[in-house]
Amino acid sequence: MEEKVIIAKLERIFREVFSNESLIITRGMSANDVEGWNSLNHMILVSEIEKAFAIRFKLKDLNKMHNVGDMIDIIVSKL
Amino acid sequence: MGFNSLNFLLFFPLLAVVYYITPAKFRWLTLLVASYFFYINIKPVFALLVAGVTLSTFIFTRLIDNANTESGKRTYMVINILLILLPLFFFKYFTSINNGIFALLESHNIRWPLPEIKLLLPVGISFYTFMAIGYTVDVCNESIKSEKNIGILALFLSFFPLILSGPIERAKNMLPQFKTSLKLDFTIVKQGMKMMLWGYFMKLVVADRIGIYVDAVYGNISQHNGTSLIVASFLYSIQLYADFGGYSLIAIGTAKILGINVMQNFKRPFFSISMSEFWRRWHISLISWLTDYVYTPLSFSFRRFKIWGIVLAIMITFFLSGIWHGATLTFIVWGLIQGLFLSIEALTNKKRTLFESKYSLNRRIWFIVLSCSFTFLLFSASLVFSRAKDLSDALLIYSKIFSSMLQMPYRDGYTMLYSFIGFGILFLKEFMDEYYPDKFLLFENKNIIIRWLTYYFVIFLILYLGVFGQEKFIYFQF
Repeated sequence: MEEKVIIAKLERIFREVFSNESLIITRGMSANDVEGWNSLNHMILVSEIEKAFAIRFKLKDLNKMHNVGDMIDIIVSKL
Repeated sequence: MGFNSLNFLLFFPLLAVVYYITPAKFRWLTLLVASYFFYINIKPVFALLVAGVTLSTFIFTRLIDNANTESGKRTYMVINILLILLPLFFFKYFTSINNGIFALLESHNIRWPLPEIKLLLPVGISFYTFMAIGYTVDVCNESIKSEKNIGILALFLSFFPLILSGPIERAKNMLPQFKTSLKLDFTIVKQGMKMMLWGYFMKLVVADRIGIYVDAVYGNISQHNGTSLIVASFLYSIQLYADFGGYSLIAIGTAKILGINVMQNFKRPFFSISMSEFWRRWHISLISWLTDYVYTPLSFSFRRFKIWGIVLAIMITFFLSGIWHGATLTFIVWGLIQGLFLSIEALTNKKRTLFESKYSLNRRIWFIVLSCSFTFLLFSASLVFSRAKDLSDALLIYSKIFSSMLQMPYRDGYTMLYSFIGFGILFLKEFMDEYYPDKFLLFENKNIIIRWLTYYFVIFLILYLGVFGQEKFIYFQF
């Protein structure tokens, strides 16, 4: 799957989880840049990503997700 | 040797001088010797426990790093965590388990009374054990490499400013600092001294003065009416904050003077507009530790249950936080109440956020004042359980509060007046720092006269209004 497609798919999930239809994601974006991206919503986000991409994260992967870019790289490595 | 003892006031300046004249390469060694000297002076045998936890953590983290398989790493991690938790469990829960068994024997009339052995909880054991667990998990998760120098690891776990009551620091932040060749920087030393000064003010002028009123009421609940209990309960929240917040500032300031940066432990918690915000500002080092090593793994395991998985993870985390504070029903209830508050906020999070942003509530003063007051009320109400002697006392307090609310409270003129002055000054400073961080600066004012007048004024307040002779900090018991 191309990175463009992954970002588009990921953006839809972000918009739904954070209830923000105009949210545009970038690789450098982190929890500080998105309103409502806290420890509660993070786990819901992770769960939605797993469902949408049909992948399973490990707890270790979570520790490496410092921003959207890390998230994309981990998704790519699991596809 | 607590921070507010005369011994510490002699020990620390002397150490700072020795530390800075030691060649930079060996400064960590000076700190290690000083840290063990500090801890041995509390009770020599307790230092053996820190040494034991250090040795076990050193061996197992090295084994984790050298293990070839994931399961091998996990096994070593689990063994070390179980080993270092043993002394914590033994000392912390020994008395509670004994009392439980005695009560059971007595209820069946089969108790045979023999002289009792009383065990003192080694001060700081929860704090350095948590730091060692965090380090072990981080090595296992490959967030950091295991430390090859056992001396540096020993310093991390015994660093005297933090060993008694935290902040619960992370190896990732501390280990590199101990290995850096630090130069003497007077600006940093001054910053540390200001932190210590304000910490002493919070402890001696605010916490210990308010403590006189709280002790008088909570020490004799049956003789006091509901209004006195409400006043004492609100005051206890402020006492606890000034006590632990003050301790934390002294600890952070002490480390800063030595050129070591330690994480913030409190960030003006009484200006929180929700309980979840409150817990991001109160005892930050413990909550972030619990978030990383308990809540996140749990909520990750329960993620298929969506929001209910999160609620379950929150409840378990705060149940454990309650037990960590003490193996009594009152602390468990206190922990579960916090879990309940946060779970309700988690369940209503989306709707509340939408509602608040629709009407721009977060920018309206009345909403902020009401929300801060409500959060303070919820926290104070829950603290009744942690301050009361036992569950029946806590329930008695609540029944009195609801049955005799509108009566004259217990009056202790001077204590109330001095508490009011101390708290008023603390509140004013926190208010300015929260809403006008760059205006009306006192400690950081560019004008040297204003700066020095502020230092002298705070010293005068400590000497004139401070309560001396009370050497204990509330959090030493945990």
